[in-house]
Amino acid sequence: MNRLTERLRGVIEPAAPRARPVAHDHSEILGGEQHIADGHAFLIVDRRYPGGHRHGRVSVLDSLPPDSGVWPRMELLAGRQIPTASDDDRPRRLMFFDLETTGLAGGAGTYAFLVGCGWFEGAAFRVRQFLLSSFGAERGILKALTALAQEAAAVVTFNGKSFDVPLIDTRYALNRMTSPFGDLPHLDMLHVARRFWRQADTDDEPRDEDGTRSRGCRLADLEQTVCGHEREGDVPGFEIPARYFHYVRSGDVSGLEAVLEHNRLDLLSLALLTARASQMLEDGPGEASHAREALGLGTVYERAGCLAEARAAYAHAAAVPGLPGAPASGCLARSDDATQAEALRAYALLARRERRFQDAALAWQCLIEIRRCPPQLAREAAEALAVHHEHRVRDLDVARRFALQSLQYRSTPGRTQAVQHRLSRLERKLGKPAAYTAGLF
Amino acid sequence: MLPAKRTDPALDQALESVLDRLTGGSLDRADNPDGWITAARRLPARTGEYAPFNDALDPRLVSVLRERGVERLYTHQAAAIDHALAGRNVVITTPTASGKTLCYNAPVLSTILRDPSARALYLFPTKALAQDQLAELHGLADVLSRQNDLELGVFTYDGDTPQDARRAIRGRAHVVLSNPDMIHAGILPHHPRWAKLFENLRYVVIDELHAYRGVFGSHLTNVLRRLHRICRHYGSDPRFICSSATIANPRELAESLVEQKFELVDKSGAPSGEKVFLFVNPPVVNQQLGIRRSYLSEARRVASEFLKRQLQVIVFAQSRLATEILTTYLKDDFGGPPGTPDLIRGYRGGYLPQRRREIERGLREGTVRAVVSTSALELGIDVGALDVCVMAGYPGTIAATWQRAGRAGRRSSRSAAVLVGSSAPIDQFVVRHPSYFFEASPEHALINPDNLHILVSHVKCAAFELPFTTTEEYGDLNVQDVLGVLAEGGFVHLAQGSSDDQGQWQWTNESYPADAVSLRSISSDNFVIVDVTRGADVIGETSFNSGPPTLHEKAIYMVEAALYQVEKLDFEGRKAYVRRIDCDYYTDAITYTKVTLMDTFGGGRPEGTVAAHGEVHVSSRVVGFKKIKFYTNENVGSGELDLPEQEMHTTAYWLELPAAVMGALPCASDDRRDGVVGLSFAMRQVAQLLLMCDRQDIGISIGSGDQDEDAMPNRHGQPAAIGDEPRIFIYDNYPSGIGFSEPLYRMHDELMARTRALISSCECEHGCPTCVGPIGNTGPLAKSVALRILDLLGSGHALATAGVGTIESPLDQPF
Repeated sequence: MNRLTERLRGVIEPAAPRARPVAHDHSEILGGEQHIADGHAFLIVDRRYPGGHRHGRVSVLDSLPPDSGVWPRMELLAGRQIPTASDDDRPRRLMFFDLETTGLAGGAGTYAFLVGCGWFEGAAFRVRQFLLSSFGAERGILKALTALAQEAAAVVTFNGKSFDVPLIDTRYALNRMTSPFGDLPHLDMLHVARRFWRQADTDDEPRDEDGTRSRGCRLADLEQTVCGHEREGDVPGFEIPARYFHYVRSGDVSGLEAVLEHNRLDLLSLALLTARASQMLEDGPGEASHAREALGLGTVYERAGCLAEARAAYAHAAAVPGLPGAPASGCLARSDDATQAEALRAYALLARRERRFQDAALAWQCLIEIRRCPPQLAREAAEALAVHHEHRVRDLDVARRFALQSLQYRSTPGRTQAVQHRLSRLERKLGKPAAYTAGLF
Repeated sequence: MLPAKRTDPALDQALESVLDRLTGGSLDRADNPDGWITAARRLPARTGEYAPFNDALDPRLVSVLRERGVERLYTHQAAAIDHALAGRNVVITTPTASGKTLCYNAPVLSTILRDPSARALYLFPTKALAQDQLAELHGLADVLSRQNDLELGVFTYDGDTPQDARRAIRGRAHVVLSNPDMIHAGILPHHPRWAKLFENLRYVVIDELHAYRGVFGSHLTNVLRRLHRICRHYGSDPRFICSSATIANPRELAESLVEQKFELVDKSGAPSGEKVFLFVNPPVVNQQLGIRRSYLSEARRVASEFLKRQLQVIVFAQSRLATEILTTYLKDDFGGPPGTPDLIRGYRGGYLPQRRREIERGLREGTVRAVVSTSALELGIDVGALDVCVMAGYPGTIAATWQRAGRAGRRSSRSAAVLVGSSAPIDQFVVRHPSYFFEASPEHALINPDNLHILVSHVKCAAFELPFTTTEEYGDLNVQDVLGVLAEGGFVHLAQGSSDDQGQWQWTNESYPADAVSLRSISSDNFVIVDVTRGADVIGETSFNSGPPTLHEKAIYMVEAALYQVEKLDFEGRKAYVRRIDCDYYTDAITYTKVTLMDTFGGGRPEGTVAAHGEVHVSSRVVGFKKIKFYTNENVGSGELDLPEQEMHTTAYWLELPAAVMGALPCASDDRRDGVVGLSFAMRQVAQLLLMCDRQDIGISIGSGDQDEDAMPNRHGQPAAIGDEPRIFIYDNYPSGIGFSEPLYRMHDELMARTRALISSCECEHGCPTCVGPIGNTGPLAKSVALRILDLLGSGHALATAGVGTIESPLDQPF
């Protein structure tokens, strides 16, 4: 051993235990087929989930898209048009896409060692996985992925907009190849899930980096709450890179089976969730299983400009009898206070947007009467009602009462000042001395 | 370049009269080491030397330059542009304000005009410098774009660039202005996104090359090695254009940073006005103790003379503390009534960017009459043309002194630079030996890119960016050995190639290795200072290392002469809570440093010498502080502190004092300790001169021979007692060392001889700040005991090497 090596050992602290080489037949253990591209081997593992396959409460058969391959109202979720079989002669399908990687940081040294793709085929769900069994095989895998992506009408991912797709784009760039994802429509179900299946807000909950709250929005959580599927022996995400590195160093494939299974389940859940969301958009709020879903539906409709449907969805979620636009049937969704309050707020804002001021006031009134109404919503309602009564109903006493009420809740200095300004104007109109209120606060 | 502004006769006259006053009317005089003015030199005005525009420059660029008043080039600009356009690397060293930016902007813009796919990358040592350059380059690029129906994109890309703008910049930038840290952590690891840049990279510009010495330079070489790898991958081979302040070895530095051949352009064609350079030595006020008048008061006096005559002054101080003190003094003297705009400003790292921009603007517009700055304004931030530069204390290197002096007199008018020496030995040496400064060559910039810690970090980053092949080389050491050990540690894996291609070392770790490396070798960790006087305003920040000594509880923290007292230091949360106070003192921390020997690389007792070098562990702790009164510098109190230790591994040179030598000293143990402390004080000064390094690059500590004994420090942060066989450590003040220790070990004999000369030729009686340290720090016998130790070491060394025998027992010694 030379002196440099000796000194280097003093400087470099090992990051992983040393591994002993093991001889294995990969394809046998992982159940796939070895492929060779440009002299480098990679593994393709195919699985088929037949129509009768159940994933918790949901079966593949329940989740099949129509013959066109794409649910008709899915573009409300994607925010852009998705070309289907009818648009040109080639059949198109949705490609569900999920990567397992050697790290979360991104950059040139983060590999996608497992590329998972899924699609509906006939009455079944198909999954095809590409395992990078030698680093040189990356080009081969990317080529095969391009071929698959070219048959797709759109790609569906979970958090793929910020992770999977940029990462695979980097791999394409590194290999000096063109990524097929450049202009493929992309539906990131994480954003949809936050709308439909986020748990109700509570104030003590931490916010995500982008300021939204997404408790219960991890794919594994949704699989449980929406599909009712309980995973057993699932490999924790943080262990995945280490399992792959162990395989690279030793050839021991035994730790990877669980990783492949994890990836397959993620794809299956992703497909079933996409089906659920798309079907709900067709069926309307009556099919929503709880108020939060109905509320989520409303926001999706509203963003897409389907205002009547949005109104119905909000009314459904608010579960207040007599709100105009609510479905006639009596089967209103059960609702918790917070969701009900949010739904009423959404309803009121939409009504104002449509200049149905009376309906808006009614919704604000319902909101303010909720027993455990979140204070910031109660304040907003009181302010809105003060405006409504001052300018439309022209009942200055009531307006003044609401303005005073809105001051009970904590607010920003700017808002408080605006309310105090309103109050002193109301007092002036009512002929009372302004100092009266100033002294109160 | 732009025509020089006409000399303003009134200002010229004002300057002349102040200089007359300071020198007693005799500006042309011989050096006088014992006088108040020890030297006065006139550096004559230079007339410009011009050359026509290079034929190879694109005519569209030439016409835009003409429109902006540039009719011809200086000779150095033409030479640099020639080299760059002909595809030769070039390094330019010319003074401040000689139009060096055109040396790189012209070839870069001309090349892009001819081939719009061409790209260039500019590196500046700080974000502020990149911003400063952006403004100028933007102006040119805008006009060129408009006239030629092009979209010539010029952008900064650094830590301040908003996330959503980054993608657009990657696509549209022809010229990217950035810094080495961003290249290291943000661009190279994501090179696939930058494919367009790397495929078409024609020029890399490195401005302020001299800033890349020591640790920073060693890192930069490695960042550039990685850049070369990426460029090779994308099939480009960029040329380098570097500019540097005056250092002794610009070409050598460029060649060792870039690891390619360079052409040197070092003859400036720019005109410059006459500059008068004065050296001032504060008068001795106590001959016995060798105490001189405070150099800060002296600097204040000198600056005031110029300020009274309406001249615009920049004052450089040696530390943040000195900066704040001088700002306070000058504000007291010249600050207008409260509420009027500030005529006197402080400037240093740690001020928030907005405040800094405001001060820079004030200087350019003339509303700020004087600025007191740390080295922060030494680099090329545009503050306009100042009349006078006053340096309070020797900046530490010849190069930095010229650089600072250059901040005055950018115009072709007359200007002045005044260096006020402090009582530090190196300052005294310089002001008393002016020819050393005016005639010697400036320093060599040293780097050590193959420092193992630095090298290994960057090999990791490089492996992450692109797999190494089994035949690839990287730097001077065998990178295959490095990869072998990295593979043992699980960081990389050797993937055997198929029949026709080589094996590759693949990165097999989840981490993003660039995150673990800071190019400045100061951790990116910092402390923020929160003013709780009214609410909670963040008023500044400071690096992790300088946190404990400046932000301990009860410390006085100063921002532009406003005083704050630290109420609470939240060490874990890295926050210091301060409150405005009114007081007449500042605080100075006492730091105790302990060095533990880990491994000896060379020397040591078995080889018959008392010097050695090797690896050490350094831990330092702030143990207390002194309260010092403004103006009088009286010590008006002190306090004890209990702060966490800061630790690092580094390399060190050390001197071993054998028990035989210590035992042979005919004095009490306290005096022996004083002798060792005094000797170490003198050695440190000489080492700094020999190594031509900055003061903060090395540290010194006295270790007891007995490893287990943890001697408690006394009130000066020195050990209260020393062991029987003490060691004097001079360590590299950077984790894993930056290559000073081995050269110092080789220069051991010179170090001893010069230290001896410094102490023995000093005029003081019992020791002073110029030799073994001020008398308050050490005892009355420090000077004589230190000399005695050197004598004994000399004779012992001679005996040992002559094989006659060593001193066995103090009893044998004839005292």
